[in-house]
Amino acid sequence: MHAAASLLNSSNLSLRFASQTQTRLSPWIAAPSSVRLPLNRSQNYRIALPPLHSTVSGDSTQPQQMASADVKAQDPRIAGISSAIRVIPDFPKPGIMFQDITTLLLDTKAFRDTIDLFVERYKDKNISVVAGIEARGFIFGPPIALAIGAKFVPMRKPKKLPGEVISEEYSLEYGKDVMEMHVGAVQAGERALIVDDLVATGGTLSAAIRLLERVGVHVVECACVIELPELKGRERLGEKPLFVLVS
Amino acid sequence: MSAYKDKDARINGIKDQIRVVPNFPKPGIMFQDITTLLLKPKEFKDTIDMFVERYKGKNISVVAGIEARGFIFGPPIALAIGAKFVPLRKPKKLPGKVISEEYILEYGRDCLEMHVGAVESAERALVVDDLIATGGTLCAAINLLERVGAEVVECACVIELPDLKGRERLNGKPLYVLVESH
Repeated sequence: MHAAASLLNSSNLSLRFASQTQTRLSPWIAAPSSVRLPLNRSQNYRIALPPLHSTVSGDSTQPQQMASADVKAQDPRIAGISSAIRVIPDFPKPGIMFQDITTLLLDTKAFRDTIDLFVERYKDKNISVVAGIEARGFIFGPPIALAIGAKFVPMRKPKKLPGEVISEEYSLEYGKDVMEMHVGAVQAGERALIVDDLVATGGTLSAAIRLLERVGVHVVECACVIELPELKGRERLGEKPLFVLVS
Repeated sequence: MSAYKDKDARINGIKDQIRVVPNFPKPGIMFQDITTLLLKPKEFKDTIDMFVERYKGKNISVVAGIEARGFIFGPPIALAIGAKFVPLRKPKKLPGKVISEEYILEYGRDCLEMHVGAVESAERALVVDDLIATGGTLCAAINLLERVGAEVVECACVIELPDLKGRERLNGKPLYVLVESH
């Protein structure tokens, strides 16, 4: 991993935080002091190997360790978005490196760029429904919906929605959970986007897809800020495209 | 006197899209369901616009939204006025170091949390939620922000249930709502 040393010399760089599930760079190397960290500098910030590209199903998912010469050019806004995401080790339990988007929400430019990147992609695609998954999907979904003129449909944990609902069960690592949507929120034939902050195993997104398809909606794409590719969520979505900004 | 814009032509359209669901979550409660408002792009946009028109240019740098329906209205307002968005959450949801504020429910207690470092002292903040009832949650939110030295400029909700007198529970902070429901 000798690219690391030379990467550190560039001003808008970063190095990927070592994760439990896949060794990338070890040990974690602090961001250069010229990078402004929005919060406490002792916190771990997500740093992404440039140039990271936004990834869509159908592209080969390239290994993330190296900034190789043939990596696609990425939108210049991506680096700022990626570096605004904070990684919290051992949350909610030991071994999990939690991707915290709350720090992104504190960076007004990066948050706006995040929404803009999605809006630019979806605004002329005749999408009439943006479904957001509780709770962090509620943060990203509505601004996208408002900008593209679509309705926003919250997909919720059980017993939160007050009206008549349809439910979809899905598997967790241990046990099951249930996702609900209001009856009548969407109509057969509508074109929908599903939004969440992150895709890990893809279980939650799959449940959302099933809920919408059960009522005859066409799910055009799933959109997330972050993907954890090692958890293979993309595969679990089958032929449904997935668009992410950072992986 | 409630500070809501009863003369704005958009208000009736917004009010008409809110669905009342009887006996949820328990008998006797008339639940104000904003999900139907979210299905109407024009009225949802009007809702956000009314808040944005009120708060832009007021040097507000923080919009704090209360989980979970405050997450729907807060971020669009924050983005439009150039403020950061700070989620205020139920316990154990926020992954980093938090400060917590306990508050009383009808039966029992609950707790609201905010990330340490999200808000700095002297920042001017707005607190956003879909609805104010007794004001307990909003009061906890105000306390959290004031504990870190922020100035809560106003609380903003789509709906107020004035009979529950939440307005009086806000430590003297102003409250702005679009719709009242008796």
